[in-house]
Amino acid sequence: MPDHSITVKSLTKRFGGFTAVDAVSFDVRRGAIFGFLGANGAGKSTTIRMLCGLLDPTSGTATVGGFDVGREPEKVKRVIGYMSQKFSLYEDLTVLENIRFFGGVYGLAAKAIQARLPWILELAGLEGRERSLTRTLSVGWKQRLALGCAVLHEPEIVFLDEPTGGVDPASRRRFWELINELSERQVTVFVTTHYLDEAEYCNDIRLIHAGRIVAGGSPRQLKEEVIRNPILEVATDRAVEALEILRKEPWVLETSIFGTALHVGVADEGEGRRLIRERLAANGIAPDRIDRIVPSLEDVFIHKIEEQL
Amino acid sequence: MLHAFIGPVMRKEVRQIRRDTRSLVFMILIPAFLLVVFGFALNFDVKHVPLAIVDLEGSRLSRELAEKFRTTEYFEVKATLDRTGDIDDLMAREKIKAALVIPATFSEDLLAGRSPSVQFLLDGANAMSGTTAAGYAASILQSYSQRTTLEALERRGAGGMTLPLATEVRVWYNPELKSARFLLPGLMAFILMVILTTSTAFSIVREKERGTMEQLAVSPLPAAALIVGKLVPYVVISLASAHLVLGLGWVLFGVGIKGNYFLLLLGMVLFLVAGLGQGILISAITRTQQVAFLLSVLTTILPTFILSGFVFPIRNMPTVIQLVTYFVPARYFLVVLRSIILKGAGLPAFWGQMLLLAGFAGSTLALSVALLRTGDGRERRRAGRDA
Amino acid sequence: MRAILSILRKEFLQLRRDPKLFPVIFISPILQLLLLGYAANLDVKNIPSVVCDMDRSAASRGLIDEYLNSGYFSVAARVERMDEVDRYLDNGRAAMAFIIPRGFGDDVAAGRRASIMLIADGSESQSATIGVNYGAMIAARHNQKIILERFERARGLGLKPVLVKAEVRVWYNPELRSRNFMVPGVLGLILMIMTTVLASIGIVREREAGTMEQLIVTPIRPYQLIVGKLLPFAIIGLIDAIFVIAVARGWFGVPVRGSVPLLFALCLAFMLNTLGVGLFVSTISRTQQQAMLTSLFFIMPQIMLSGFVFPIENMPKFFQAVTTIVPLRYFFIIIRGIMLKGAGWRHLWPQAAALMVLGTLILTLSVARFQKKLD
Repeated sequence: MPDHSITVKSLTKRFGGFTAVDAVSFDVRRGAIFGFLGANGAGKSTTIRMLCGLLDPTSGTATVGGFDVGREPEKVKRVIGYMSQKFSLYEDLTVLENIRFFGGVYGLAAKAIQARLPWILELAGLEGRERSLTRTLSVGWKQRLALGCAVLHEPEIVFLDEPTGGVDPASRRRFWELINELSERQVTVFVTTHYLDEAEYCNDIRLIHAGRIVAGGSPRQLKEEVIRNPILEVATDRAVEALEILRKEPWVLETSIFGTALHVGVADEGEGRRLIRERLAANGIAPDRIDRIVPSLEDVFIHKIEEQL
Repeated sequence: MLHAFIGPVMRKEVRQIRRDTRSLVFMILIPAFLLVVFGFALNFDVKHVPLAIVDLEGSRLSRELAEKFRTTEYFEVKATLDRTGDIDDLMAREKIKAALVIPATFSEDLLAGRSPSVQFLLDGANAMSGTTAAGYAASILQSYSQRTTLEALERRGAGGMTLPLATEVRVWYNPELKSARFLLPGLMAFILMVILTTSTAFSIVREKERGTMEQLAVSPLPAAALIVGKLVPYVVISLASAHLVLGLGWVLFGVGIKGNYFLLLLGMVLFLVAGLGQGILISAITRTQQVAFLLSVLTTILPTFILSGFVFPIRNMPTVIQLVTYFVPARYFLVVLRSIILKGAGLPAFWGQMLLLAGFAGSTLALSVALLRTGDGRERRRAGRDA
Repeated sequence: MRAILSILRKEFLQLRRDPKLFPVIFISPILQLLLLGYAANLDVKNIPSVVCDMDRSAASRGLIDEYLNSGYFSVAARVERMDEVDRYLDNGRAAMAFIIPRGFGDDVAAGRRASIMLIADGSESQSATIGVNYGAMIAARHNQKIILERFERARGLGLKPVLVKAEVRVWYNPELRSRNFMVPGVLGLILMIMTTVLASIGIVREREAGTMEQLIVTPIRPYQLIVGKLLPFAIIGLIDAIFVIAVARGWFGVPVRGSVPLLFALCLAFMLNTLGVGLFVSTISRTQQQAMLTSLFFIMPQIMLSGFVFPIENMPKFFQAVTTIVPLRYFFIIIRGIMLKGAGWRHLWPQAAALMVLGTLILTLSVARFQKKLD
C-alpha cells in the first residue's frame, strides 16, 4: 500500500486569463483527514475537481489512489467518493432510490447494496426515512445522505467539498464524527471548508489563498510555528472604532475583529499592552480587558493573508 | 403603484437576457434565418411531378400524347413502362407520384371517333398537390383533344378555324401566381409564433425550478407586475426580430407592404403579445422547464402549421375544427398580414381579426396573472409553514 | 449493464414523479392527431366564386352551368355589375369570379370571338392555381363544343367531339381523405419533436441541477450514461407511436397495410437520428433554454424540408441536396409506404439504410463530443 493516497505536484488550472489554482503541491497520508482551507473563490473546489478527474489540469501532475488524474481519470473515479458543494443528488427520488441508484452506478449488486443499506442509513441518521422524497429533507440530512452515497462503494479516498455549508451546529458536529469514523477505517478524507474552526479537527491542513498554498501543517504546527509574535485580545464595545485606530499604527503587525473583540498582533507583549491602552485612551476608549491568547487557526490564516498582501 | 414594481422586474429580466447571449441571438436571428431558408426552398407550385408513363399501345399517336407529358415542366417522367404491374412498386418506393396509362386501344378509339379514356393514377398517400396535378393532366389531355379535333376538321376541309372563346384571366394581388408571395405571410406567422412562445415558456417556470419563486411570492410584488415586467423586454426583442423578417421578405423576395405600416405594426404588436402571452401562460401552469418547453412546441408547431390557414384554407375545414382555429393566434395575424402586405386593404377588412387577436393576448395575460396569484398564495402559505 | 439499468430505473421513477410530464408525453400526441386528422383538405373543390353574368343569354347560362357542374366551383354570390365583384374578393368571401360580358351569346351565335373574364384571388395561390387551371380548361372544353357545333351547322355533318378523357384514379387514399394524409405526418412530426426535445433537455437539466457532476465522478462509462439517458426516450417514442397508430386505426380507420414490426423497427432507426441530434444539442448547450432554442434550430427546417407538405421535387436543386440529410424525409416515405401502400422491406430498404447511416453518424459525433468532464 502506498504511504500517500494523494500526491500533488505543481498542479495548475487556468480558465482563460484567470489562474484559479497556481502550482499547488502537497501529499496526503493514507487514512488522514486532510483539510483544504480558504475563502470562497480561493481555488478549493477547482483543486478538488481536478483531483476527482472532473477537470483537466492545465499543468502539473497529481496521483490519487496511485492513478494519475490527467492520464487515468476513470481509474481514479473507481477508488474515490465525492460529495460536491452544491447538493447534487436527485431531489425527486426517495432516500432509498438515491442510494440504490448510486449503488448500481458504482457497480454494486442489489444484494451488496442491501447489505450496506443499514450502515448507510445509520451513518446518515436516516433510518425510518428511507421512503421520504429527498426534496423534503432539511439541509443537514441531505448532506448526510450525500455523504452516504459517496461512501457506498467503500472507496479508499473520499473528497468532501464544503460538506457542512448551511448546516446547523449539531449536524456539523455529527458530520465530523462521521469523518472521524471513516478515518479510523483507514479511509483518506480530503475536506475543503471555509469554517476555520472545523480545521481543528483535521490532521493536516493547507491554507489556500488566491490559488496558492500559503501555509500548511498540522493545526498545532501552524499555530505554533506560523505565529511567533504574541496575539492580544482586546475586549471593548467600540471594537470597530478601535480597529480603525489601531490598524494605522506601525507597531501593529495585524489586527482584525473576532466576534466583539479585537485580535492584535504585536512584536512584544508588554510594549503592545501599553501602546494599545495609550492609543485607545487617546480616543476615549477604555478596553475592558487585554489578554494574550493562544492563536487560533483563524489568526494564523489572517496573518498569512496579510503577509501575502 | 403597479408601474413602480414593473421597473425592477424588467431590469432583472433584461440583465438575465443579456447574460445568455446565445439565446438572445437565437431569438432574433433564428426567425430571419428560417425565413430565408424557407423562402428560397419552398413554394406551392406543382411542377416536376415524378411521373411514370405506361404506354400499352406504343403507336405513333400514343407516343405523341406521351411526348406532351415529357415536354411539360409540370411533370418529370421518371419511368416509361409497358406494363401496369410495376406502377405499385414504383409508388411504394416513392419514385413516382403519378402514372399515365395509355390504353392499348388508344389510336383505334381516337381514329374511330370514340373518346379514348386515359388513366391518370395519383399517389393518394402523398397527395398534397394531387388535385392540381390531376388538373394539369386534364389540361394537357384537353389541349391534345383540341388539337386533334382541329386537325380532324382540317382534314374535312374546315381548316383555319379560330377558337371562338377567349378567356382573359386576371389574378389579383399576385399576378404571376408566385406562391412565394402567398407563402411569405404564412411563413412569417408560423416561424414567429413558434419562437415567441418558446422564448417565454421558461420565464416563470425557471424561477419555480430555481426556488427564487418563493422569494418573489413572499414579496409585495403583484403578480400582474411580474408578468408585465417579464413580457416587455421580449416584446422589444421580438419586434426587432419581426422587423428583420419583414425586411428580409422585402429585400430578398420582393414582398413589400402595400397597405398601412402602422396598422401592420399594431397587428404585429398584438400578435407578439399573444404569442409571448401563450408562453407565459404555459410557464405559469407548469412546474418544470422540461414540461414547459414540450408544451410550447407541441401547442405551436403543428397547430399553427395546419390550422392557421397557412397551408390549408380554413373555410374547407369541418366546422368543429374551424372553431378550434380561433385558438390559434396566427390565424388572425395571417389575415391581417395578407390584407396589408398583399392586398393593401384597409382596416375594415380586418378590424375583427385585430380585435380577436387583442382578446387572445389579453386572455392569456389575465389567466397568467390569475394563476400566479393563486400560486403565490400557495407559496406564501408554504413559506409560512416552513418558517 | 447494471449501471445502465440503474439509470433506466431512475429515469422512469423521475418521469412518474412529474405529474404534468406524463399527460404531455402520452396524451398530447393523441390529441394532436384527433384535432388535426380532420383539418387537411387535399381535395380542392367548391371554390366559392362570384358569378357576374351580364349577358343573361342561353349561351352564357350554359357556360356558367358547365363551370358549376364541374364540382370545382360553388356559387358564393351572383351579381349584376362588375364593380360588385371586388367586395367579395377583397374580404375573402370568394376566391374566384366569372364575368361574362353583355353580348356574349350574340358573339357566339354570329361566329365572332366572344370573351369572358376569370378573376382569381392570388393571395390564396393554391385555390387560385386550381381555379385558373380548371377554369381555363372548362373554357377550352366549351370552345371545342362550340367549334363542333358550328361545324355541324355549317356542314350538316355530325362530328363527334373527340375528347381524350382523363380518368383519375387515386390510389391508397381514394377519397383523398385528410386523415390518410395527416396520420403519417403527425406520427413523424410528433416522434421527432418529442424525442429530440426530451433528449436535449433531459441531459442539460441534469447538468443545470448539478446531478450530472455526481454522475460523471463515478466510474460509469460515457456510453453507459448515454444509453441509460436516451433509451427511456426511445421507449417513450415507441409508446407514442403505438398510441398514434392505434388511434389512427381505431378512430380514423387508417389502415396499416404493411408489416407492423417493420414499422416499429424503422421507428427505432429514425429515433437513432432524433436522439442523436438531441444528444448533440445537449453537448453544446449550457442551460435548458439554450437547449430548447437550439433544438428548434434543428427541428423547424426538418419539418419544412421533409417533403410533408412542400414537395421536394419543387425545391431548388441546392435544397433538394440538403434534404438528403433530413432523416424525417426518409421516415415519411417509410410511414406512408408501410401504412398506406403496404410497402415492404424490398421497397424501403434505401430509406432504412439512409436512416441507419445518418443516425450512426450523428450519434458517433455526439458521443465523441460528450465528455465526462465539467468543462
